[in-house]
Amino acid sequence: MRIPRQTVVAAGTLLAAALLGSSSMPAATSDVAVGVAPEQLSVVGLPCFPSTLNLTMTNTGSQDRYADLTLEPTGPLQLSRTLFSSWLPALDPDQPVSAPVEVRVPRDTKPGSYNIGVEVDRNRVTVPVTVEPLPSKGPGDNLALGEQATASSTHGNFTLCGAVDGDKDPEHWDTLTGWNDGTRAAFPDTYDVALSAPATVNRVELYTLDSAKYPARLNGLRDWDVQVKVGGAWQTVTQVRGNTLGHVTSTFDPVQTDAVRILCLDGNDHTYSRIVELEVYGT
Amino acid sequence: MPTTRRNFLTVSGAAAALALSGSLPEIKTAAAGWTGRVDRRDPFTLGVASGDPLPDAVVIWTRLAPDPLAPFGGMDRRPVEVQWQVAEDEQFRRIVRSGTARTGPEASHSVHVDVRGLRPWRHYWYRFRVNGQLSPVGRTKTAPAYDAVVPELSLAFASCQAWWEGWYTAYADMAKRDHDVVFFLGDYIYEFGIDRGIRPHSNEPYITQQTVTLDEYRQRYAAYKLDPDLQSAHAKAPWIVTLDDHEVVDNWADEAHPSAPPAQFRVRRANAFRAYWEHMPLRLAQLPKGPDMQLYRRIRYGRLAEFNVLDTRQYRSDQAYGDGTKAPGPETADPARTITGDAQEKWLLDGWAAAQTRWNVLAHQTAIARLDTKDGPEVLVPMDTWDGYEASRNRILGGAAQRKVRNLVSIAGDLHRSVASDLKLDFNDPASATVGAEFVGTSITSGIDGEDLDAGGATLLRENPHMKFGNFQRGYVSCSITPQRWISDYRVVDKVSVQGGTVSTRAKLLVEDGRPGIAEVQK
Repeated sequence: MRIPRQTVVAAGTLLAAALLGSSSMPAATSDVAVGVAPEQLSVVGLPCFPSTLNLTMTNTGSQDRYADLTLEPTGPLQLSRTLFSSWLPALDPDQPVSAPVEVRVPRDTKPGSYNIGVEVDRNRVTVPVTVEPLPSKGPGDNLALGEQATASSTHGNFTLCGAVDGDKDPEHWDTLTGWNDGTRAAFPDTYDVALSAPATVNRVELYTLDSAKYPARLNGLRDWDVQVKVGGAWQTVTQVRGNTLGHVTSTFDPVQTDAVRILCLDGNDHTYSRIVELEVYGT
Repeated sequence: MPTTRRNFLTVSGAAAALALSGSLPEIKTAAAGWTGRVDRRDPFTLGVASGDPLPDAVVIWTRLAPDPLAPFGGMDRRPVEVQWQVAEDEQFRRIVRSGTARTGPEASHSVHVDVRGLRPWRHYWYRFRVNGQLSPVGRTKTAPAYDAVVPELSLAFASCQAWWEGWYTAYADMAKRDHDVVFFLGDYIYEFGIDRGIRPHSNEPYITQQTVTLDEYRQRYAAYKLDPDLQSAHAKAPWIVTLDDHEVVDNWADEAHPSAPPAQFRVRRANAFRAYWEHMPLRLAQLPKGPDMQLYRRIRYGRLAEFNVLDTRQYRSDQAYGDGTKAPGPETADPARTITGDAQEKWLLDGWAAAQTRWNVLAHQTAIARLDTKDGPEVLVPMDTWDGYEASRNRILGGAAQRKVRNLVSIAGDLHRSVASDLKLDFNDPASATVGAEFVGTSITSGIDGEDLDAGGATLLRENPHMKFGNFQRGYVSCSITPQRWISDYRVVDKVSVQGGTVSTRAKLLVEDGRPGIAEVQK
């Protein structure tokens, strides 16, 4: 399009221009304090075992503002986000504003040292990241740990990988660990774990919600089938009915499989399926 | 609100921003606009929009986002100058206004130009240019002069467009019909995480993760605004928008939400409001100051109609009885509780006392009329609609009656169903006076296909004698308003779960001048 310069009427109120008033001069120092926790991170190349870095921005200045925190990973590190933007109130006492970033590496990543650059207002912090060797997945090891989970649905307050993260403490439910389906009072729900390689398995340990506040007899998983995938089809190897306990061991005839499924049929409050941790063992 | 030692600074910062907007940068040389880098990607992936028409002005909008789901929409961090033109004709032979707007990452590279000096009640066409690339052309229309006699106004209103639950076929239909203005009454995006949807890409993180931070809300708007039918509805007519709960989080109320303590929730609200403003064709007067945004406002169409656009989220009391569907009781009747907040209530009633138009419209979030959802003598009503705020409802409807407001009409959304009702002075007494008519429009997609009359809808019709029409499909409402009558045409889509569904008129409802309530339902 041709802009006829002679006839331009600058009649518009340029709203966007007003927004830029304070940003034209990059500040030499920033009034945003950046925090990262932990200060250094360990990552392992399991598909459902992200390490989480908690990012915090705190406005230490005298004026409410918006800020952008950018993340720059090196090497094989994969981040769930590379940007965290927020309004930051200038309050007394200071109010930190936080957001998580998940860090993953491919399974075949060689152990080694990498880092993530964290930057706000051109001030940079570097977070060292160590890629650890893969855990052993032999006889006697939990074959489900950190392997790729799939679920029929996942409630917004939970993460899919929460039931294969190695944390079976029900007191960590919700905020830190566990899987909860996303469809209230609708059953069945499924939670699957794909093993890294076909294995002969004969035991599943299921930890359902059983905390001081939420006992299993009121809130835990009640009825479920343990299924294994053989030749692309799910087959039931054992069933649990009327459970009121927090921890249930299911043993069955050894079977070679590449995935294990919990087919959730009912909970004790008939609302959600809740699994704190699912473990799979072979012979 | 907690006391902050820095409140005065916040206020003066906002004032500085307002002052700046008065000084307009002149057109600069082309080189000053694009700083060296030649970027051949299309920056106009999110379309164009216009909104909040006045007799001499309208806001035109776009956002530069060559990679819309990436951080900063794929733009770098430098400021950008965007040229804009407004013409009287679609070919841009008669350009009447043009200029350059500056934007940057602070504003998500959005451009809001409040184009002034236009003539009343006529169409204009607008477009943007950056880096030698032209935007799509949008069509808009100014409002009539305040004292104009307007023979007819056509408007559409819509709400609740859960992206993953269906195709925006209703918007394709809306864009085909000729509306002077479109109202959007809330739930433009959904903030919560989902795990599956019926559209391709419904399981991508930018749809499945809940939005809390500013970058996340911005990305969610981009995901929604990529839809071509939504873009075409924006490009065809000016929109007047307000928000409901899901632009922030499900059923929030002022500073209350179970997800976080108030101090933390205010940050989320500020992030949500900022992204909302950036993506809507709103004026600087609506620019949020942190967690506060002046969204309620009046827009007038000559002597024909005045629209009171409400905000019934930001100032409301927390839902009674812990929210949900409950029996009315002392809490819902408590005069200390409010859905509008005191200032907005006073603004509304004072405005009505001075009202001069034939039709007086409430354009807002959710149903005012009672919705008894339980068969039989027991009454169970939603705590999130005006049913949960009975004293507030009585003050507004009673206030309208006292002020002899002519032809009160309420348009709203939120319910994911079409509901048309008479507004009663006292919903406990079916014999009490009818003071207005209410048209609740269904969702664009939320709830997937639905059906003509579900069990819940049948119960509503049985239990609520003031309710004249109900439907549980998806769609929007197209209205024709003259000095003599208001016709609401309920457009419904047979299926939103597939592309290319069929849109048809399910019912036409009539309101006559001088006769409160719904006069006729043509099915």
